[in-house]
Amino acid sequence: MMIISVILIPLITGILVPVIPFQKRWQKEVFLETAVVLNSILVWYLLLHHSDSTFLLAHFTGNLNISFRVDGMSMVFAGLVSALWPFATLYAFEYMTKEAHENVFFLFYTLTYGVTLGIALAANLLTMYFFYELLTLVTVPLVMHTLTREAILASRKYLYYSLGGAAFAFLGLIMVIVYGSTTDFILGGVLDPAKTIGKTNILLLIYVMAFMGFGVKAAVCPFNSWLPQAGVAPTPVTALLHAVAVVKSGAFAIIRLTYYSFGTDFLKGTWAQYAVMSVVMFTIVYGCSRAVKETHLKRRLAYSTISNLSYILFGAVIMTPLGLVGALTHLVFHAVMKISSFFCAGAIMHQTDRHYVHELNGLGYKMPRVFGIFTISALALMGVPGLAGFVSKWNLAGAAVESGNPLAWGGIACLLVSALLTAIYMLTIVVRAFFPGKDFDYGTVSDIHDPNWKMLLPLFVFTVFIILFGVYSQPVVDFFMSVATGAV
Amino acid sequence: MYLILSSILFPILAGLFLLVRHRTPLSGETPTDRKSLIALTGCSLIITAIFVIAALFAENGFTLFYLTPSLPIYFRVDSVGRIFSLLAVIVIPCAGFFSFAYMKHEEHESRYYGFYLLVFGVLNALCFAGNLITFYLFFELLTLSSMPLVLHNGSKEAVMAGLKYLFYSLCGAYAALFGIYFLYRNCDSLTFTMDGALRASAIAEHGGFLLVVAFVMLLGFGVKAGMFPMHAWLPTAHPVAPAPASAVLSAVIVKAGVLATIRVLGMFGTDFLKGTWVQTAWLCLTLITVFMGSLLAYREPVLKKRLAYSTVSQLSYILFGLAVMNETSFTGALLHVLAHGFIKAALFLCAGAIIYKTGKTRVEEMRGIGKEMPVTMWCFTVASLGLIGIPPTGGFLSKWFLALGSLKSGIPVFGVLGPVILLVSALLTAGYLLPLTIHGFFPGADYDYNRLQKKEPCKLMRVPILMLTALSVLAGIFPFAIFLAYFAVTGR
Repeated sequence: MMIISVILIPLITGILVPVIPFQKRWQKEVFLETAVVLNSILVWYLLLHHSDSTFLLAHFTGNLNISFRVDGMSMVFAGLVSALWPFATLYAFEYMTKEAHENVFFLFYTLTYGVTLGIALAANLLTMYFFYELLTLVTVPLVMHTLTREAILASRKYLYYSLGGAAFAFLGLIMVIVYGSTTDFILGGVLDPAKTIGKTNILLLIYVMAFMGFGVKAAVCPFNSWLPQAGVAPTPVTALLHAVAVVKSGAFAIIRLTYYSFGTDFLKGTWAQYAVMSVVMFTIVYGCSRAVKETHLKRRLAYSTISNLSYILFGAVIMTPLGLVGALTHLVFHAVMKISSFFCAGAIMHQTDRHYVHELNGLGYKMPRVFGIFTISALALMGVPGLAGFVSKWNLAGAAVESGNPLAWGGIACLLVSALLTAIYMLTIVVRAFFPGKDFDYGTVSDIHDPNWKMLLPLFVFTVFIILFGVYSQPVVDFFMSVATGAV
Repeated sequence: MYLILSSILFPILAGLFLLVRHRTPLSGETPTDRKSLIALTGCSLIITAIFVIAALFAENGFTLFYLTPSLPIYFRVDSVGRIFSLLAVIVIPCAGFFSFAYMKHEEHESRYYGFYLLVFGVLNALCFAGNLITFYLFFELLTLSSMPLVLHNGSKEAVMAGLKYLFYSLCGAYAALFGIYFLYRNCDSLTFTMDGALRASAIAEHGGFLLVVAFVMLLGFGVKAGMFPMHAWLPTAHPVAPAPASAVLSAVIVKAGVLATIRVLGMFGTDFLKGTWVQTAWLCLTLITVFMGSLLAYREPVLKKRLAYSTVSQLSYILFGLAVMNETSFTGALLHVLAHGFIKAALFLCAGAIIYKTGKTRVEEMRGIGKEMPVTMWCFTVASLGLIGIPPTGGFLSKWFLALGSLKSGIPVFGVLGPVILLVSALLTAGYLLPLTIHGFFPGADYDYNRLQKKEPCKLMRVPILMLTALSVLAGIFPFAIFLAYFAVTGR
């Protein structure tokens, strides 16, 4: 019962936001924050005291039903999302003071929380598909938020891409229904060997199509152009949804599809694995190269997200337990690093109204906290040892070496090229901010200062976690290991 | 344990303190500020130096903590590390005291000293690192903390040079990381050793691929040591830094690349690499660098740039010695690490003194400089002779061992070609360094002696130069250095 309530609470809270006539802004803030924090606590309680039972909500026919269950994968994703959401909401309060239509924003923002949890806690492919479609629908208004022509175009593109992708993913769903023994998620796959004889190639083809379909949300090449465009949305949306919740739902769905539906035994070593791995490797380098070229700060980070999402997928398509560990490590660690750098970008935009990289000269001395944190997240994304990014890359590369797959060895080279490009697109910002050049006029930045605690608190917390994961990641990685081997 | 830790943490914390104190570039430094700043930095340098020297005698390694269960951050003092640490602990305080005088005419002094101390701490950590992961961690930190020294003056040229330095170095570091991933899977542990840590089964299974990995790692770490084809950053980055910083960059920081190469050689083991295509390709690259560096230095009119090109060439002497892979050449390489370190630091400080006193940067402007600054130019001359390799200086001894090792090695073609190129390069070295002395002391008949005025720099500048010059000669006369190097090779 609790499992459905954690999905419903955000949905109800979100709907209540425009309904309740709040007198003061702080009342709304307290209401929202309390609801979100309470829900997150509930989620964590649920995850820590989960039972193996499946909660059946609705039964359609045969093995088609909407049901929820907590397993290892859902623990990772639901835990991550529920840990980040309260901070993002806190940040959004401050950020949204400068934007219009607050109620609409918080309505859909909170709805998204529930829907994302629905994806995380889904017990079978159909349920996940249902919430996956729903996620598209509730996030479109958020992208459209500013109602500029640009925003409407971006949201339209987002909608078409996502729905198109879901259609391909639907093919995968059908295949699993027809050739699988069940649609439930079972580590190792559910395809029935008796039914698949002679159908291997068509199944592999459908797998690749479904991979690309879910891959739209995870922004694999060539279906990634919606993500940088969607950067027109307010920063809490780009930071939480387009760096964590939405895009990682895509990665999450792919992991479910690969490890829990089709099964790695069926896919490993086939042409399908090589095909998707090549796509992913290309995306890793492509995203970074575009990020280097991009001069708009948030779009640059969006391209960086594209590349980093493919790190996760790279781990996933190695198709070994270690590969899954690498994928999960990067899924979580990248979330913290990227949300931190996005919030920095948002803080800069909020405080200075500057959006382009070349406008950031000399700001480092005026906003030392924000830029200090940005520097740490930049170093973490580059993979400097002692910060979170190094550990996840170590796990990914370790898994690739271990797999003995020559293409995966090439993937390590892609990871490192991408690390170099990451250094280029992140550190040039840092250098600009702190070393503006000899004849820089400090008068132009004189009235700029760090934002208030509502913006800084989430940043500090994320930074602490970046460092903590960097120097002591053992319990987390051990947990991922037990997820990947099916022990949880 | 505490000595090693404090030799690393103390300068890092002191540096961070200075950086945090330096909040804004808007408020200029008052003279009293400057005094306290210098006192603070000076004390930190001396205290750190004492810690390091004490730590050199430390025996036991220790694990600080585990990054992941299988990746310990492990420190240990070993003989190779001792040599590099000795170099750092002499050159960095010397150049540091020199900068107290030199930095008077530059801005943002506390930022400079802050990063200077950071670099000192990180270098100590690098010398005392006991396994590849620890080493890699501090290798990256070294790049990041020394970059602000390069772009210190904030001109467009300096910022571009700083970024170039950063991206070349990171490129190298990532190439090395590629190798580390594979070493980790194919070795029992990443703790440094001199006789190869690869599992025999791994060599049997995919030895060919491991050779590729070794080559990628050597190339990667070679970037830091300015090895062709990734040398281009060095002549851009070193000269734009303030002179004492260029001295440290050229004398000590690039040696991190050499240290890294020695560590990699040890991990793969010379038995595994000897006689393979990796050795041949590596020898070839180092010899190209030796020759090319000297030639470019010979053509270069700006003094500091000329010295930077000379660094490119001289470092590849060291790498050549390592690539020959026998004990004699190895001894020569380690000796040259020390000799070149002292000499290049002295030369850069001389160049700095000239810039500070006269503002002259190009070689042809420096006619008669020996009359104006005799002590400085005498030091420059002695150091130059050392770099050329004239007995009894340190440079002679190291080159002797290098050539001897190469001839003894019996490597076809390169065994003989190596010493020849070393000699040609020595000739070029004489060609690019001695004209300064000649025109400096013998400005020619048309030189106007009436306009001559003494411009000898202050004591704070003169003493470090004199010390470093003296050391460069002593390294050749006193065999302590040889013994040290020899112990390092034999592992005692």
